[in-house]
Amino acid sequence: MLSEGRLRALNDFIEKTSKEELIWINGYIAGLISSSGLKTSEAATSQKKFTILYGTDTGNSKKLALEFTAAAKKQGAKVKMAGMDTYRTEDLKQEKFLCIILSTHGDGDPPPSAKKFYDYLMDTSTWYPELEFAVLALGDTSYPYYCKAGDDVHQRFVALGANAVFPVQKCDVDYQDDANAWYQTYLNSFPVEAPKEALVPAKKVSHGKKWYTGIIQGNTNLNGHTSNKETHHIEIRTLEPILYEPGDSLGMIPKNKKSTVDRILQMVHIDPMLSVPYKGGGHTLLHLLTNVLNISFLKESQVQKYADLHEHEIPKIRMDLIDLVRLYPVLHANLFIEFITHLNEQTPRLYSICSSPRVREFEMHILVSKNTFTAMNEVKYGLASDQLSGFEESSSIDFYIHKNKSFRLPSPETDIIMIGPGTGIAPMRSFLEDRDAIGAEGKNWLLFGEQHFTSDFFYQTEIQQYASTGSLSRVDLAWSRDQKEKYYVQHRMLEKGKELYEWIQRGAHVYISGTRSPMSEDVEKAWIDIFYTHGGKSAPESEDFLNELKESGQYKADVY
Amino acid sequence: MSNQKSGEPNLTSVEKIKMKSDGLRGSLTDSLKDELTGALREDDQSLIKHHGMYQQDDRDLREERAQKKLEWLYSYMIRLRLPGGFLSPAQWIALHHIAGEHSTGVIKITTRQTIQLHGILKSHLKPTLKAFAIQRLDSIAACGDVNRNVICSAHPKQSRVHEEVFQYADKISTLALPKTNAYYEIWLDRESLTSKEEEKDPLYQDRYLPRKFKIAIAIPPNNDVDVYANDIGLIAVIENDKLLGFNLAIGGGLGATHGNKDTYPRLATVIGFLDTEEKILKAIYEVMTVQRDYGNRSDRKQARLKYTIDKMGIDQFKSQVEERCGFKFEPARDFQFEERTDYFGWHQNHEGKWYYTVFVENGRVADEKRSIKTALYEIAKTGKANFRFTANQKVILSDIEPGDKEAVNQILLDYDLIEHTEDASPIRRNAVACVAMNTCPLALAEGQRYLPALIGKIEPLLKKYKLLQDPISIRMTGCPNGCGRPYLAEIGLVGTSYGHYNLHLGGDRLGLRLNEKMYENVNEETILNILDPLLKKYAGSKKKYKSFGDFIHLNPALTPT
Repeated sequence: MLSEGRLRALNDFIEKTSKEELIWINGYIAGLISSSGLKTSEAATSQKKFTILYGTDTGNSKKLALEFTAAAKKQGAKVKMAGMDTYRTEDLKQEKFLCIILSTHGDGDPPPSAKKFYDYLMDTSTWYPELEFAVLALGDTSYPYYCKAGDDVHQRFVALGANAVFPVQKCDVDYQDDANAWYQTYLNSFPVEAPKEALVPAKKVSHGKKWYTGIIQGNTNLNGHTSNKETHHIEIRTLEPILYEPGDSLGMIPKNKKSTVDRILQMVHIDPMLSVPYKGGGHTLLHLLTNVLNISFLKESQVQKYADLHEHEIPKIRMDLIDLVRLYPVLHANLFIEFITHLNEQTPRLYSICSSPRVREFEMHILVSKNTFTAMNEVKYGLASDQLSGFEESSSIDFYIHKNKSFRLPSPETDIIMIGPGTGIAPMRSFLEDRDAIGAEGKNWLLFGEQHFTSDFFYQTEIQQYASTGSLSRVDLAWSRDQKEKYYVQHRMLEKGKELYEWIQRGAHVYISGTRSPMSEDVEKAWIDIFYTHGGKSAPESEDFLNELKESGQYKADVY
Repeated sequence: MSNQKSGEPNLTSVEKIKMKSDGLRGSLTDSLKDELTGALREDDQSLIKHHGMYQQDDRDLREERAQKKLEWLYSYMIRLRLPGGFLSPAQWIALHHIAGEHSTGVIKITTRQTIQLHGILKSHLKPTLKAFAIQRLDSIAACGDVNRNVICSAHPKQSRVHEEVFQYADKISTLALPKTNAYYEIWLDRESLTSKEEEKDPLYQDRYLPRKFKIAIAIPPNNDVDVYANDIGLIAVIENDKLLGFNLAIGGGLGATHGNKDTYPRLATVIGFLDTEEKILKAIYEVMTVQRDYGNRSDRKQARLKYTIDKMGIDQFKSQVEERCGFKFEPARDFQFEERTDYFGWHQNHEGKWYYTVFVENGRVADEKRSIKTALYEIAKTGKANFRFTANQKVILSDIEPGDKEAVNQILLDYDLIEHTEDASPIRRNAVACVAMNTCPLALAEGQRYLPALIGKIEPLLKKYKLLQDPISIRMTGCPNGCGRPYLAEIGLVGTSYGHYNLHLGGDRLGLRLNEKMYENVNEETILNILDPLLKKYAGSKKKYKSFGDFIHLNPALTPT
């Protein structure tokens, strides 16, 4: 903060000053600051930014964590809240202020949901000298190991070099009053400090595709075990900051499967290392088949090109390259090499990003539905989604950011309505993270739908948290297969038509994401119906109104 | 004395929840409407117990679902109020379909002669209870701090006055029913009463009892209901086929907490005899009011009637009840328990009606190794048999006219249920296990999912020592709360942690003597290693002892103290 020269002068001064004098000066300066006569770069405010971490068995710790988070947010603090069961212990290094609420269970054990975290802490030798923590321990005095888990965590953090803000606060079964009082003290303990210049430094936007190499650090199928679907939440970490905005997508080019490529090479009897000219460049055949060319579901014209070259009769259908060479063997290597030049490059696949750069600078999340379809009586998987959902932790991925300038958040004080059924929830999660992080004042309304409540509620625990801390004002859900009649998000919209129209009238921006057909079309019909029913508009006026909203940018869709 | 009134600072949170619940309504209506979660609000989770339900979750899936950012897989257990444990064939058919449509499909017969269904999602609660209501069935007060399901000796061949005794179960249940209309409003969408005056509850007031309350009726010589395990036990006194009245026993209860020395199982104490129905019902009512007024409301682990009695002294408690009754109890009449059993297979009562008791392991009616569920459904469809449940989780196909016996027998044969019942070893037939994992939130170890396998490993020992026909009682519970009455078994297993149990030995075979904790925290291998030499010695000296439990009890040198 100080320039080098001024820092040197200060150090010189300190060196020549006695300890007693320093103590007096310390108090003097503190007095000066508090009497507010001093200029600071900006108004000094208490920038409370901390993480609440809970370990719960019966739900009491979680309940407190939710209450604490909501209370802190009301005061304008920036709070992150997480359960120990989902918290990534590697993130501990980045924490500055940590508030821990932990219950004790059985013979002094942590609750099962906190066991992973607890075990990590007991085993690790990572040093946390920057961490300021406080522990609120819940227990029951009728057990011999009262609040032992909380004690353990406290002592362990101290042993790992972290600084305890307070001694452990222990609470018995009637914990509420003690816990609240403790938390008030905790909030008041934050030092008054000047805010940093800006939350996210402005960065130069570079033009053209910038490729990043990321490491997969998590890949979880979000669907419960009884689901008909498989939808992967994939977390990617990079060594450099990723330049993106909520609403953007990740672009990647899928690699063809090694087993498929190997089988083709085997059948065509050509040296994989043979250099083959393609679009003015030379690559080995192996590289072209693996990384460059689309070899699945070839176009009819391409199949016919193959037929012409080989003088085969081949029906006018689309086929995979592997089936083509299997059913109609290659007659001569040259013919195949010639054919190769007629194949297309693999097209990039885009996936909506579901995280915010304001929460994670070196990290990005996407949501990928494992795409299954039937072709030639076989169940097949979409190449890219199969590859992504099969990614193991620590494998690497090359990707770029696909900017989506027409799908951006409005100003923080504007209300938004997010309609994102299925994987359409991805950009909505990014919006929510973002608006939560900057404390946007505008209200957020999420409409989500899938097949089943118990197995297909993507990001359920996060959504619950946003709802209980007020970041989400409204959530409406539609489960298509939880009752006899099919019920979708557009049906839900019609039920809430009056309020939706009121939001629109108050200037709320609307976001639609998910499948183009039939979802986004049904949603549009629902809006027109709502404008007709609740807006007192005629049928043509209702359609016009929707078009006006689209043209003015109040209605934005990102559908596929 | 802890006669607490509202506003006292040290009331437990459950007490506060009950008192501010507006007749057990709480915020249940809002909780049911909340679509973001399959759970109820915390306070409401205490309240629904009084409506006969528990919120549970699949504990096996907790970790996986947390990773998936899904909340725990919450579901509900619904327990019916079935005084004496009786269903008509039409009711059984309805139950069969309700279980299939709304729950896991398994119909669980409990140790309190009733039925419970598991795995019901929040959105299915109202449809389930409405479907039961059509059959005139409800779950009111099946759990919670109220009088639970009243149980009664099950088998009608027991006595010529069985029907008369059985009627008492219903009368007592009605006497002790909460007066609130909440159940009808919340679950069945009935109109709310016009005045709160109609729901004034002189028995439960606004705070209900300090803890659960259990009542059982036994007809000697069979103690199939484990009468001494109840807060109130009525023991029928019958002479020359005439019901003279009941001996009244109070203060039984089996629950305890590991590591809490102030908690213990206790058998009920017989305090006197009552002859008329009016006096019997009055006495029960006043035992409950004394417990209501004197029971501990600041510590739920000290709140059962047994602790109230032990703190006041039994004589003082009794005179308090007598004073409120306005009459004195007569001295207890003589009686004798000679067995504690279900009568498996075919039996006939004095009117000539037939009864078949089916072996249902741990009370789980399902189509697994045998298609018990389908078989019972087929029998129900004939309309020829009623369904009665025993306090040991078995079903009695009952009140079958002699002319209909063959038809029922044929269905039993078709589904191999006769073979199933006859082939089960006596130790297996008498065994009891609670639900425990994966749904009971209290469970520390397995119960019904594991006991059958453990018995499978004990049976070879019994065979080795020619004890296979000896009906040794074995009972297992996943926690120390005692739902499976493990403290009244010859071999009691009380879960301490996953795969580990406290081994209790030395209970008698009639449920008159508690067993003792002999080994702590033992696993399967140790359990078998302990039992093997003991069973061997017992077999060698069997003629001297009535039961394995007596053998252990009378040879203290064989086991640690």
